[in-house]
Amino acid sequence: MSALNFRCAAAAVCVTLGLAIVGAAAGPAEIAQIKPRQDKLRDMGGALKAINDDIKRGRIDWDNTVIPNAQTIKDRSAYLLNWFPKGSGPETGKKTYALPAIWQKNDEFQKFGKAAQAEAAKLNEIALKKDESGLKAQAIATGKACKACHDNYRSPDYEKENEDE
Amino acid sequence: MSSSEAGRMEAVLADSTDLRVWDVPVRAMHWSLVIGIGVCWWTGVNNELEYHLWSGYAVLWIVLMRLYWGLVGSSTARFVNFVRGPKAILDYASTLHRRDTPHTHGHNALGAISIVLMLGLVLAVVVLGLFAVDVDGLYSGPLSLYVTFKQGRRLAHLHYDWFNVLLWVIGLHLAAVIFYFLYKRQNLIGPMIHGKRRVDAAAAADAEMKIAPLWRFVIGAVIVTFIVYAVSVAFYF
Repeated sequence: MSALNFRCAAAAVCVTLGLAIVGAAAGPAEIAQIKPRQDKLRDMGGALKAINDDIKRGRIDWDNTVIPNAQTIKDRSAYLLNWFPKGSGPETGKKTYALPAIWQKNDEFQKFGKAAQAEAAKLNEIALKKDESGLKAQAIATGKACKACHDNYRSPDYEKENEDE
Repeated sequence: MSSSEAGRMEAVLADSTDLRVWDVPVRAMHWSLVIGIGVCWWTGVNNELEYHLWSGYAVLWIVLMRLYWGLVGSSTARFVNFVRGPKAILDYASTLHRRDTPHTHGHNALGAISIVLMLGLVLAVVVLGLFAVDVDGLYSGPLSLYVTFKQGRRLAHLHYDWFNVLLWVIGLHLAAVIFYFLYKRQNLIGPMIHGKRRVDAAAAADAEMKIAPLWRFVIGAVIVTFIVYAVSVAFYF
């Protein structure tokens, strides 16, 4: 084997290995999205639960429960669509409930995300106004906006183990 | 058909009579539980949680009523009359392969285990569901306000896991019914629909079921309805 041939072969091996590593890693930045996005979404779910718990009790604590939690949901929802960069789905090999449909039907996904932002903003307005008569309906509307996306773009609970570890 | 054959058939018919095995409440609760669990299953898997909550309350009501009826109901419904100790269960199990064993009046010793197991599992799954939280924090169980979001999510997963165990036990129950029908030539489904079983007239006399009065069921229904309502509002009246 001539020296030139050897160098060519070595270069080819390096390029192949390099590509393989880049491909397998699927981008560390994308993988890094998964855990924080789960945490933030869980906070939003917990915030809506807290508001719904007060409604169920029939004892609404505006200053300590409804206003801060509605604020959390509104603030987080503004960034919602940034948490799903292409390549942060199940192809990372990480445990995620995110379905490939998020990126396959991304236009529709974006619409659902924006609808959720709109409902979250309305919920926040009602909380700030302390509008008791409108709170229940808007809490349901907000939850349904979350559910609309989860029904289509998230694996059902029963397909995965517990999500939080 | 020869005259002697006809005579024999007449004699058989004359000597047999309808024996009541299951009263109306037991049959109604059995079949409504079948429907209730079916609705719960479908609504749960399809994430129709608004309706899942309602069907869950219905199943809770039926199971609590069945437990109550197991204490004060008709003779074949009562736990004291069919829950047996290990010796009776083993004795019964050792005759399972034989085809000539007499028909048990009510639940047999082995079947009793699956009844208790199924009722217990249904109750356990419903109780887990009462505390379970959905991913949206929207249609959570009524008692979920006593747990955190994270705890409630964990309970939602357990709710599903234990439902799967229940499905296996229901499968076993169905397999047993088919086994009795094919191997032992005993139809257990008919009596659960119309409540009666054909037996020899002689055997019927001392096996007649003691039927509980309807007012007892109504009293239980009022109490159980109140309990389910109280749970549904998480005891905040």
